Amino acid sequence: MKVFLLSSLLMMNIFTVFSQTKGQVLDADNSPLNEVNIYFSDQNILLESNNKGEFVTELEIPNNSFINFYKNGYTSKVIKYNSGQLLRVNLKKLHISLDEIGVTEFSGILGNSKLISIDKKSLKIISSSMVEDLAQLSGIDMISSGLGIQKLVVRGLSGMRVVTYLNGMKIENQQWANDHGIGFTDLGLYEGEMIKGSSALKYGGEAVGGVLYFKDNPFIESKELSGFASTNFDNSHFSFGNQIGLQYSKNNYYFNLYAQYSVASDYRLPNSTYLFNSRFRNKAVKFSIANRKNKFQNILRYQYNGDEVGIPAHTHDNLDDVSLDDITNLDIDLTTDYDIIRPTQFIDNHLFIYESNYFFNSSKLSFFTGHFINNLKEYEKWTVPAFDMALSNTQFKTNLRSSFNKSTVNIGIQAGILKNENNTLETLIPDAKTNDLGLYSTLDYEKKSYGLSAGFRIDSKQISVEENNYDQSFTSFSSSAGLYFKQQNHLLRLTYSGAFRAPHFAELFADGVHHGTNRYEIGNANLKLEKGHQFDLKYQWSNDHFGLVLNPFSQNILDFISINPSDSLFNNTYRIYNYIQYSKVTLSGFEMNMHYHPHSFHNIHLEQSYSFISTNNYDDNSVLSQTPSNKIKTGVKLNLEKYNYYIKLNTFSLYHLYSFLQDQVVENETITNAYSVINLALSFKYFNKLNIELGIQNLLNEEYVPHLSRVKEVGGGIPNPGRSFNINLKYEL
Amino acid sequence: MKKTNLLTVTVISLALGFSSCSKDDTVDCHECHVAYDGPNGEIEVEISAADGGEDFCGTELETVEAPGYTYAIPQTIVGMDTVPAGSYAVHCEEHADH
Repeated sequence: MKVFLLSSLLMMNIFTVFSQTKGQVLDADNSPLNEVNIYFSDQNILLESNNKGEFVTELEIPNNSFINFYKNGYTSKVIKYNSGQLLRVNLKKLHISLDEIGVTEFSGILGNSKLISIDKKSLKIISSSMVEDLAQLSGIDMISSGLGIQKLVVRGLSGMRVVTYLNGMKIENQQWANDHGIGFTDLGLYEGEMIKGSSALKYGGEAVGGVLYFKDNPFIESKELSGFASTNFDNSHFSFGNQIGLQYSKNNYYFNLYAQYSVASDYRLPNSTYLFNSRFRNKAVKFSIANRKNKFQNILRYQYNGDEVGIPAHTHDNLDDVSLDDITNLDIDLTTDYDIIRPTQFIDNHLFIYESNYFFNSSKLSFFTGHFINNLKEYEKWTVPAFDMALSNTQFKTNLRSSFNKSTVNIGIQAGILKNENNTLETLIPDAKTNDLGLYSTLDYEKKSYGLSAGFRIDSKQISVEENNYDQSFTSFSSSAGLYFKQQNHLLRLTYSGAFRAPHFAELFADGVHHGTNRYEIGNANLKLEKGHQFDLKYQWSNDHFGLVLNPFSQNILDFISINPSDSLFNNTYRIYNYIQYSKVTLSGFEMNMHYHPHSFHNIHLEQSYSFISTNNYDDNSVLSQTPSNKIKTGVKLNLEKYNYYIKLNTFSLYHLYSFLQDQVVENETITNAYSVINLALSFKYFNKLNIELGIQNLLNEEYVPHLSRVKEVGGGIPNPGRSFNINLKYEL
Repeated sequence: MKKTNLLTVTVISLALGFSSCSKDDTVDCHECHVAYDGPNGEIEVEISAADGGEDFCGTELETVEAPGYTYAIPQTIVGMDTVPAGSYAVHCEEHADH
C-alpha cells in the first residue's frame, strides 16, 4: 500500500508542465473586486483576487469543474468551467449575505441545496465553541455539559442516527452515548454542511436523522507562506486555547498544518458556584499534503485529537437524592482546578486519509480510503480504568461522477470494517466486528425552472460478536427523490427520503455500568432494522432586502430503537436502562427562517429562525423522551467596517435564543421551563492582520437548564454557564 | 531560507508547547473513603492507609482500587449519621466540597 501511495505521488511529479488560467472578478459596474474568494471545489483549492480583481492559477482545470466565487456582501456565483472559457465574473452587491438563512444557493460536498435540504455554516470564526455556533441554525440543538462534552442534535435525533463525516471519513467514536462528544474541534476547519433527514445516500443509508459533514480549509495557491496564530480565553471555564496554522504551496504541492492546545477549569454557574470536574484539556495536530498534476490529484491527511474530559455530576448516590450543593464548589482554585482528576474520559483519536481524484472528459473518478482509531478510556478510579476500548474504522469508497448536458450522475461503492476491542476485564459493550458494503446511484437533473433528483442505495451489514455467539447480517434498501420548481424569486421543493439503520452492537449487547451517564445499560439482542421515511417541503422567496424560508417536515420511523429507564437500581445507585424498540414513532415540525435588511440602513442584518418539533410514540401514545424544546433564534449583525472608527470596530452582533417551555415529556423525564439567552460579539481589526473578537455569553446571567442537557436530571437540573466573556486574538501571517 | 526557518521555529514551538503544557497526571497518592448510602444521601467515611496517614500510594492504592476489594470499618458516626460496621467498597476520587 505504502509503495502504491509513494508511487502515485512521484508519478504526479514526473512531468512538470505549467499552464495558467487567468480570470477577473468585477462588480455590477465593472469595477474590479479585490479579496474575492475563488474556490475550486473539485480541486479543493482557494484563490483570492488582487486589487485589479484578477486571479491566476497554474492549475489545469478540467471541464465541468465547479468554481465558486464569493465575497462577503456580494452575490455568490457558481460556474461550471469549460475549457477556453473566459473567466470574467460579475458579482452584484447583495444585502442578504448570511449563509444561515438558507436562501443562498450553493453546490457543496453533500449536494445541490436546491435539490435536497442542506444547510451550511462557515467555521472560520468561532465565538465560543464550534458546536454552540452550529446549534444557532434552525432545527439544530445540542447535548452538552459545559464546553467539555458537546454533540449535535438534528431535528430531535442524535447519536447513531446522525452520521458525522470529517473530510470524507465517517467518525466512529462510540457516539451511542450522550457523554461522548463530537470527537474533534474547529481546528483548521472551513465549514460544516448538514443534511436534515435521511437524504444523504452518498454518505450512508444509516443516517436516519441526518449527516454532518465537516471539511478542512482548502489548500491555497500562493508562493508565500501564510497562516495564523491565535489565542483565546473564555472566562466561563477560565479556559485558554492556542492555535496555529500554516499554508504553503509550491510546484503543484500544497501543504496545510495546524495545531492547538487548550485547557479549561470547572465552569461557573449563574449563582457563581462551579460545577465540579467540568474541566477539560485538548490537544490536536493535523496536516494535509496535496499534489495536483494535470488530471490527477492526491491528498494525504493525518489528524490527531486528544481530549481529557472530566465527567461532572458524579455521585454514588441515587440521583434523586443529589443536590446541586453536592456537586458544585463555592470557589475555584486556579492552582489545582485545572488538574485532571477522576472520573475522567481520556480520548485519543487518530485519523488517516488518502484520497485521489482523476478527471476525464466530463467525469470525476474518486477513490477514498480512511482509517480512524478511537481509544476511549473512562477512569473512575486512579489506577484501573472502568473501561478502555479501542474502536477502529477502515473505509474504502469509490465514486464516479459524470456530468451530461443538464444532468449529473453519481455511482459509487462504499465498504467499511469496524472493530471494537476491550482492554479491560470489565466491559460495558463487548468486542465486536462489523463489515458493511454499500452500493448507490444518484441522478440530478436541472433545467432553468425546475430540477429533480433521485437515488437509491443498497447496504449490507454483518455484525459479529463472538462472546455472545451472534453473527447476523442486515440488508437494507434506501432511496430518496426530490423535485423543485423555481419561478423568479420563488422556489418550491419537495423531498422524500427513506433510510434504514441496523442496530449497533452497543444497542444489542451493552451490559454494565456506564459511569459517564450514571446508568447501568442493558442491550437487546433481538433488535431489528430501524426504518425511517421523511417528507420535507421547502418554500423560499427572497429579494434584495427580505428573505423567507418555510420548511415543514414529517418523519416516520418504524422499529425505533430507544433506551429507556426502568424502576430498578443496580447496586442501589445506578438506574437500569434497557434498549427497546417501538413499532412506530413520528417526528414532525416546522422551520421558518427570515432575513430582513432595511433598505435605509444597509449595514444591518436581522435574521430570525423558528423551529418547532413534536414527536409521537404510537406504542405508548406519548411523546419521545428528549424531544427538543421549540425555539426562536434571532441574530442582528451590524457591519461597521466602512465607518472606519478609530477603535477599528468592524462588526457588532447580537444573538438571542428563546426556548419555549417543554412539557411534552415521558414518565420520569422532567419538564423544562422557558428561557432566554442573549450573546453579544464585537469584532475589531487592527493593522489589517490582527483580528480581535470579544464576546459576552449569557449576558443576562439567565439560570437555565436546556431540555437536552446531559446533566438535567442531576441535582434538580444543573444550569448552563452563567454570564461570561471571551476574547479571541488572531494574527494572520 | 526564511520560510524554512519559520517552519522550523513553528515546529519547535509546537513541540515545546505540547511538552510544556502537558503535565504528568499520574499522581501516586490519594485520599480514599468508603461510601455508605444513608437515608439522607451518601455518607463518606475517611479511611487510613497502612502507615496511618490519609494517603494511599502506589501498590496500596492499586490494592484498594482493585475490583471486588472491600474495606472493613467499625460502626462510625459522621455528623448526625451512623454508618453501620461492615465491609464497603473504597473510592479514591474527589468530590465537590460545597
